[in-house]
Amino acid sequence: MMWLSGGFIFRRGDSFYHRLDPRAKLLNSVLMFVTTLLARSIFEMVLVIVFMVGLSAAATVLKRVARTMAFTALFSGFIFVVNVLFTRDLETSVLYAIRFIAIVVSTSIFFITTSPDELEQVMKMFRLPRDVVFAFVTAVRFIPVMMLDTIQIMDAQKSRGLELEKGNLIRRVRNMIPILIPLVVNSVVRSGELAEAMEARAYGAVPRPTSLLVYRARRADVGVVCAAVVLFAIAAYSFYFVVPVRFP
Amino acid sequence: MIEFRDVSFVHQNGVRALDGVSLRVEAGEFVALVGENGAGKTTLVKHVTGLLKPVSGSVLVDGVDTREASTAQLSRKVGVAFQNPDHQLFSETVEEEMSFALRNFGFPPELVRDRVSWGLELFGLGEYRRSSPLILSGGEKKRLTLACILAWDPQVVMLDEPTVGQDAIQKEKLAGTIQMLKSAGKTVVVVSHDIEFLWPIQPRVVVMKGGRVVGDGPATAIMQDRDLLGSARVAQPQLVEFYQELHRRPGTPFVHPLDAARWAEEAMRP
Repeated sequence: MMWLSGGFIFRRGDSFYHRLDPRAKLLNSVLMFVTTLLARSIFEMVLVIVFMVGLSAAATVLKRVARTMAFTALFSGFIFVVNVLFTRDLETSVLYAIRFIAIVVSTSIFFITTSPDELEQVMKMFRLPRDVVFAFVTAVRFIPVMMLDTIQIMDAQKSRGLELEKGNLIRRVRNMIPILIPLVVNSVVRSGELAEAMEARAYGAVPRPTSLLVYRARRADVGVVCAAVVLFAIAAYSFYFVVPVRFP
Repeated sequence: MIEFRDVSFVHQNGVRALDGVSLRVEAGEFVALVGENGAGKTTLVKHVTGLLKPVSGSVLVDGVDTREASTAQLSRKVGVAFQNPDHQLFSETVEEEMSFALRNFGFPPELVRDRVSWGLELFGLGEYRRSSPLILSGGEKKRLTLACILAWDPQVVMLDEPTVGQDAIQKEKLAGTIQMLKSAGKTVVVVSHDIEFLWPIQPRVVVMKGGRVVGDGPATAIMQDRDLLGSARVAQPQLVEFYQELHRRPGTPFVHPLDAARWAEEAMRP
């Protein structure tokens, strides 16, 4: 939950990166994502991560990104162990483990600096069906609400003597039933109520509703996009045409 | 029974929910916590069951520091019925829902059956015994959560907004249940915005504002303090307003707001 909250939930900020056009932010994240896939050595991957850390610092989200990296390191530790066991290649295993962290960070930077409204506009830009866009954006918007619900449900059940931290693995999994059932039921009820409330406010009345926000690229957005494309081109060229630097 | 010693609590988002709260609730007392939304009432309740631990100061329940006991251990002494019943109902039947806490506390099966039957009858839920708790109405769900708490007979009963979604008859029954708990020597703490519900049962009233206790005293005294209640965004009971309005006029026959209440009741009787 903490991983999800810290790494993927938007919180309002006032950095230059927060103010960028969401399309520019999406392109940046996509390019960073692709760059992580292009990196062929640990050194190159470390360079990509250093760039992401710098960008996070500029976007004033370094603390959250660092927390996400720490949580993701647990999963990447698992990836490392599995790879070492199956490939017996230490360097490749380290590369895959770091790549996983880099992939998560590249998407995390986009989500934590892009509001659900901006996300909606980006999805509309790709001409996705309105219902699909609405369902996705609503799901993102409701993650914090569901987290709050989970905490309140856990409090209520703990107050009835439920001990979540006690017992073996099977017992602990069974102890989650009193948490999960109210959470799912509440979510289903809430989605039904939301659908009714939306229909009561004319959702779907016209095929192409007007928009409150209309994005126009500013000079800063164009500048960032150009810089991102140039950096990506340099990275891609050097990763493929310059001999990869390998650790001894 | 419950003691807050200079308790402060800050949420993860930096909001100070409790700010140097000192409060003592004796065994067998009936206390109402009132105050505007976000005043810290529910946070205070969560400290009693150890769901939240103070950032500074200490909370003692029956002499036990809540930092040194688990929520499960504290819950055996303190039963809390939270505001939203949908946050706790999950079982297949009402009967199973009621027995959940009793089984967690290790009650023997015969006692579980007895306590479940007692609770269902007390709250008029006997007919739903084998129904799913999820199909009950809002008011019935609320009563069920209350029955669930009373089933294990805790020494302290804390009710967070118990009158929400209840009709007038159910509110009267709830008031009766609180009186019954008082008679049985239980400590009862009610968090409520429903001043008209609290006034006839005359609790000790604790007024909270901005995470602090700004008023504490018997209902008759606190409910007459218009400035105090106004600052905490709490409305005065209508009968107290009526009494104060009459009291400004010379020759008023009432010396106490409760006299005005009795007079009004008699006057309205057909």
